[in-house]
Amino acid sequence: MKKAILYLNQFFGQVGGEDMADHTPEIREGLVGPAMELDKQLGDDIQVTHTIICGDNFMGSRQEEAIDMIKDFLKDKEVDFFFAGPAFRAGRYGAACGHAGRAVQQMFPDAVVITSMDEENPGVEMFRKDMFIFRGGASAAAMRNDLKAMAQFAQKLARGEEITSAKEEGYFGRGKRKQYFLNPPVPATERVIDMLLKKINGEAYETELPVPVTDLVPVAPPVAPDKLSEATIAIVTSGGIVPVGNPDRIQSASATKWGKYDVSGMDDLKAGEYQTIHAGFDPMAANADPDVIVPLDAMRQYEKEGKIKKMFHYFYSTVGTGTTQKEAARMGREIAAELKESGVDGVLLVAT
Amino acid sequence: MLMANLIPVAKSVGVNKMVPTISIPYPLGDPATPKEEQYKLRYHRVGVALDALTAEISEPTLFKTKI
Amino acid sequence: MKLELGHFYVKDIVFGSETRFADGVLTINKEEALEMVREDERITEADLVIVKPGDMVRIVPVKEAIEPRFRVGGGPVFPGVTGDLMQAGNGRTLALKNMSVLAVGKHWGGFQDGLIDMGGEGAKYSYFSQLMNVCLVADTNEVLEQREQQKKNRALRWAGMKLAEYLGKTVADQTPEEVETFELAPVTKRTDGENKLPKVVMVLQPQSQMEELGYNDLVYGWDANRMLPTFMHPNEVLDGCIISGSFMPCSSKWATYDFQNYPMIKRLYQEHGKTINFLGVIMSNLNVALEQKERAMLFVASMAKNLGADAAVVAEEGYGNPDADYTGCLVALEKAGIKTVGLSNECTGRDGASQPLVSMDALATAMVSTGNVSELIQLPPMPVVIGELESLARDGLSGGWDNDAILGASVREDGSIIMENNAMFCGDQIVGWSTKTMVEY
Repeated sequence: MKKAILYLNQFFGQVGGEDMADHTPEIREGLVGPAMELDKQLGDDIQVTHTIICGDNFMGSRQEEAIDMIKDFLKDKEVDFFFAGPAFRAGRYGAACGHAGRAVQQMFPDAVVITSMDEENPGVEMFRKDMFIFRGGASAAAMRNDLKAMAQFAQKLARGEEITSAKEEGYFGRGKRKQYFLNPPVPATERVIDMLLKKINGEAYETELPVPVTDLVPVAPPVAPDKLSEATIAIVTSGGIVPVGNPDRIQSASATKWGKYDVSGMDDLKAGEYQTIHAGFDPMAANADPDVIVPLDAMRQYEKEGKIKKMFHYFYSTVGTGTTQKEAARMGREIAAELKESGVDGVLLVAT
Repeated sequence: MLMANLIPVAKSVGVNKMVPTISIPYPLGDPATPKEEQYKLRYHRVGVALDALTAEISEPTLFKTKI
Repeated sequence: MKLELGHFYVKDIVFGSETRFADGVLTINKEEALEMVREDERITEADLVIVKPGDMVRIVPVKEAIEPRFRVGGGPVFPGVTGDLMQAGNGRTLALKNMSVLAVGKHWGGFQDGLIDMGGEGAKYSYFSQLMNVCLVADTNEVLEQREQQKKNRALRWAGMKLAEYLGKTVADQTPEEVETFELAPVTKRTDGENKLPKVVMVLQPQSQMEELGYNDLVYGWDANRMLPTFMHPNEVLDGCIISGSFMPCSSKWATYDFQNYPMIKRLYQEHGKTINFLGVIMSNLNVALEQKERAMLFVASMAKNLGADAAVVAEEGYGNPDADYTGCLVALEKAGIKTVGLSNECTGRDGASQPLVSMDALATAMVSTGNVSELIQLPPMPVVIGELESLARDGLSGGWDNDAILGASVREDGSIIMENNAMFCGDQIVGWSTKTMVEY
C-alpha cells in the first residue's frame, strides 16, 4: 500500500482561526479534519498516515524555518504522495501549500505532490509548474469535490495508469507539452481541414499550439517635439542598480520588489556607492561604472544643453531575471502610476 | 521607450519604442573601450532615445543608432 | 491538368525466379534486381530484405522511402532526377500500393537517417511500419562521408529510386484495380460553382537549408535551396516532381514516398468543389539567412494574394531555425488577409518545457501540431535488426547518442534502445498522416 501525508493550515487542521495563524508547524499521526475524507476517497491503494498542520502566517513570514521543520518531520516517513489543501481561493494558504509541496518534492523526487486551488488563487501561477494543482472551488463548500478530484488522480497514478493531459485530468497545465496519440486516432489532415473550414467561416476553433499571448500595450502619445525641452524624463531599469547595501532588499532573481533612489545633486553614479544586484549577468562592468545601466551622466549633460528640462530626481530599479511576466507587469503598473502622479513626461527603461 | 540588447525578445513581448544597446551586462558602455568612448556611445544612444520619445509611431519601432 | 493514379494493391511480396506482379503478389527476382542496383559502381554491397507489418524487426539507418511506380506512355517516375525532364502530373501513372522501397545503410548512418520498428510498441512511431517494405540494404564506396554526420546518401537514394522504377515496371501492361483521378482546371478557368467557394492554396516548405548542393529536396531535379517560391499544380507533387533530400532530423523529414502520396494535398482535393476551391500549391522552401527567409515569405504572400486566395495551409519540413520561415510565412499570409492554418511539429525538449517553436507570433492563430522531436522513447530489443543497430548511437543520428552521463548510450548491450523521437523515420508525419498531437501536462 502507498503512503500519503496531508498538509493543512491552522484552520482546516482544527487548531483555530486567524488568531492561530502563527501556529508552529506540527505533525500528527493519523487523520485530522479533511484527512479523514481524503483517506476514505483514496480507497485501499493509498493510506494517509500523517497530517501536518502549519499556520499560514508562520509559513508566510518564517518560511525557511517552516520548511526545515516539515522536512525534519518527514525524514523518517514514507512519502509516495504528498497532498496539500485544498486551498480554494485563500491566497496565503495556496502559497503555503505550494511552498510545502515544492520542498517535499525536492526531498522526495519520486513522490507525487498534489494540491487544489481556485484559479484566482495566486498560488496557481506561483506553483503550477512545480506540482499538480487541481482546478478547485472558490470556498470550502467545494471541499468534498476537490478532495475527490485529488484522490482519484492519485489512485490513477498508483495503479500505473497513463495520464492524458492537464486539461482532461483537471489540473492546471504544468507548462510541459508532450506528444500524445489521439484515441480514437484522427489524422492531422482531418484536424487541418476542420480548423481551416472553421477559420474560413468565422467559427470557433482550437489551435493545437496556442501562442502565449503578449499583452499588447497601445503606443503612448509622444512628447511633442517642441516640448521635449520642457519635459521631465525618468530612468527605470531592470538591471538591478541600487545603492550599495541594497536597502530595499530587492531579490537578485525572480524579483517581486522594486526601489527608487534619489540622485538629486549627483552628476553620475559612482562605483562603490551604487552597484548591481542582478544575478543574471557578470556585474563587473556595471559595478565599475553604474552609468552603463543608469546613464545619469548623459542625462545631466542633456539637462545642461536644454534638450530636456530635467531628469526626474528618482531612478527606479528592479531585477529582470527569472521574474515572471505577471510580477513584472504588476511592478510596471505600480511604477508607472507613481511617475504619472509625479508629472513625469517620458521614461527611458534600460534593460539588461 | 525601451533601451535593450535583446531586441527580438523586446519585440516578442510587444514593446513599442526600442533603441538597441550594445550588450546585456553593459548596455551603455563597453568596458573594453576608453571611458571617453563609452560616454560618447552612451550620450549618443540616450539622445536617440530622448528623440524617440517625441516620435509619432503606429507600430513597434526600432530606432537606429550611429555609434 | 489531369492525373490518373492507377493502383495495384500488393497483398504479398516474395522472392522468385521472375520479377512480376500477379494476383496481388509481387515476386522479385532478387539477383536480377541486385544486378540492376550494382550497375552503379558506387554500390559495393547490396541485399534485399522483405519486411511486413508486425514483423519483429528493427530497421536502421533508413535513408529514404519510395513508392514503386510506372509512368504510362514513357518517361521517368522522377523527371529531372531518374531521367529526362518532362512535365509531371498529367496522364497516367501506375503505383504499387501498400508497399515501399526502403533505402537502408548496411553500416553507416547519419544525422538525417532514421529508425523503423515493424512490430511491437515502437511500430506506432513510423508510418512505414504499416506497409510491406522491400529493404535495399547496401554499402557504398562513398568513404569520404562514411564518418561524416551529414551524408548526401547519393548512391543509396538513387539506387532506391531505380529499384522503385524497376518494381513499378511489373504492372506496365496491366489494368489497375482502381484509378484515382486528380484534376484541377487552370485557376482562371474554374466553374462558377468552384469560384463561389473560398479559395485555398497549399504552401509547402520542403527542406532546403544546406547551402552545399546534394543534400536538399529537389524540384524537377533542381536544388530547392536555389529556388524562389513558385506556383505549381498539386498533381506535379503527387507525380514525382519532387524528391526528398538528405538533411534534417529524421522525424521532421518528408520521404519521397510522402511527397508521392501527400495526404494533405489529397485531402484538399477531397474538399475541392464541396467546401473549397483548391487553387494549387505554392512551392516555397526553407532558408538559413534572415533575408532569404524574408524574401521567400514575400514571394509566397504576394503569389497567394494575387491568386486571390482566401485561405492557406502551410506545412514545414523541419524544426529549429526553419520555424522562423514557418511562423514568418503564417504571419505574412495573415497580414495579406489570408486565413492560414499551419501544419508542423514542435521541439519542447525532453522535459516538454521549452518554447515549442523557435519563433512564435500571435498572428499564428491556427496550428496543427504533429509531435515533439525531442520526446524520449525507450524500446526493448528486437530479435532481428536490418542494417546496423550501432549506427543509431555511433553515427550521429539526430535522435541517438553514443554517450550520455545519465542515460548512457542509445544502443544498449541487450539491443534495447533509448532515443529521441528525432530519429524515428519520418516519424512526425507532418504531411498529414500523424495521429499524434501535442498536449500540455
